[in-house]
Amino acid sequence: MKERVPFQKGLFKEDQGGRLLGNKCSLCGRVYFPKARLCRECGHDELSEIELSRQGTLYTYTIGRMPASHFKPPCFVGYVDLPEGVRVFAPLEIKDGNPLQVGQSMELVISELWEREDKEIIGYKFKPV
Amino acid sequence: MREVAVLGIGQSMFGKFPERGAASLGAEAASAALKDAGVKPRDIQVAYTSRWINVGTTCQKILKEVGVTFIEMINVENACAGGATAVRGLWKDIAFGLYDLGIAIGVESINSTSMAGQVIAPDEDLEGELGLTYPGMFALIARRQMAECGATREDFARISVKNHHHGCLNPMAQYQREFTVEEVLNSRMISDPITLLQCCPQTDGAAAVVLCSMDVARKHTTNPVKIIGSALKSGDYAYKQKEIWISPLGAETVKMAYEMAGVGPKDIDLVELHDAFAPEEILRYEDLGLCQHGEGVELLRSGATELGGRIPVNPSGGLLSLGHPLSASGVRVVAEIALHLRGHAGKRQVEGARVGLAHMLGGSVAGLEAGACGIHILAR
Repeated sequence: MKERVPFQKGLFKEDQGGRLLGNKCSLCGRVYFPKARLCRECGHDELSEIELSRQGTLYTYTIGRMPASHFKPPCFVGYVDLPEGVRVFAPLEIKDGNPLQVGQSMELVISELWEREDKEIIGYKFKPV
Repeated sequence: MREVAVLGIGQSMFGKFPERGAASLGAEAASAALKDAGVKPRDIQVAYTSRWINVGTTCQKILKEVGVTFIEMINVENACAGGATAVRGLWKDIAFGLYDLGIAIGVESINSTSMAGQVIAPDEDLEGELGLTYPGMFALIARRQMAECGATREDFARISVKNHHHGCLNPMAQYQREFTVEEVLNSRMISDPITLLQCCPQTDGAAAVVLCSMDVARKHTTNPVKIIGSALKSGDYAYKQKEIWISPLGAETVKMAYEMAGVGPKDIDLVELHDAFAPEEILRYEDLGLCQHGEGVELLRSGATELGGRIPVNPSGGLLSLGHPLSASGVRVVAEIALHLRGHAGKRQVEGARVGLAHMLGGSVAGLEAGACGIHILAR
């Protein structure tokens, strides 16, 4: 079996069905993903790691028909709004060939995004619930 | 702070020139601007050059070709707003009295590199790595414009039809060809809903402007074109942008420019703006205050932004038809506005233009609304 390597460290974990890892300001409560070094709202520098909700709402999407970074077309990508007030850009999966719709519920999946030499590069995606 | 005049303007041919480098294109624009200004190479006291791809003492490489050496030269990069950043830098030097006369150049040579024919994506960037491209970014906005503002695919196509029509009137344009809405919609899909003919082409080219103090300008002309407003701002955190089709960056930058110039949107006779992807032009109408948020589609449909309309936008053909040599565009839009204010824009002339606005936006940075926005307001 190929070694599984996250495309970037510290952004997500695989257990519990996958979770995005953000952080939250201990003073004003603002949540960030990816993690912020200090709170961009109030400047406070104590932020604690939190696991973000696995489900959110599709804010917008597009289908790229040209190659993009590691991906071959069609490239489904979009922004998903999570209940913590965070908007996440991510690759999207479609379900049973059904078109995506703005406003639909989406769920996090951790899966292989691309391969590099003998490694499986894993990351996060969203798919329709 | 002193008033600053646009004394000379120049543009190279725009097109695909894989055999020509940035120095050749830049020198063509710079020598045209020097000639237009009526100044000698040795009159240039300071020079700014902007370039995005293969940066490296480009200013020196260009200006040694036209006899300008041994002065202060500054090389800047700010993605597609790089040209606007170069103009702004030169404007500051003259406005604050450091120098009396200088040149700002924007140049890009893309078809000589391996980026030729590729969709450009944000580099060293989380979202770029996950598959965001520049057309993708504006497609994501376009989908919200469709959901929130009633924009249709035909509206987006109409922007391209309009700007290509304008480009047919500009002998310097890369594509001088009319298209119908159907042709635009039926061209190859790039990033849904954006089709190929709604994307700016890959363009090699350069533009230059010679700026000077009013004392110097009056020795050359009795009625100089002036820069009455200059503003440059970097993007704020994206989480502060509730809706991606409403741009705090554009609104704040133009507010700074309007305040400095002492004018408002109603005073503007023509606009040149960043229409890298057709749906974006509607967003910019709203940013720049040409209409209220959500009313850009109506403004487009009314015909107000066509040549002959109330507020022509991109009479040059814009990035879609004239072409988009990335860092050159921010200089080129200033040159285009100056040309109209002089009344020398030929078949695409906006009649009686007195005040014009040159806008340029650049860069995608994960977590920020955009890289930078640069705006100059010119008047005569």
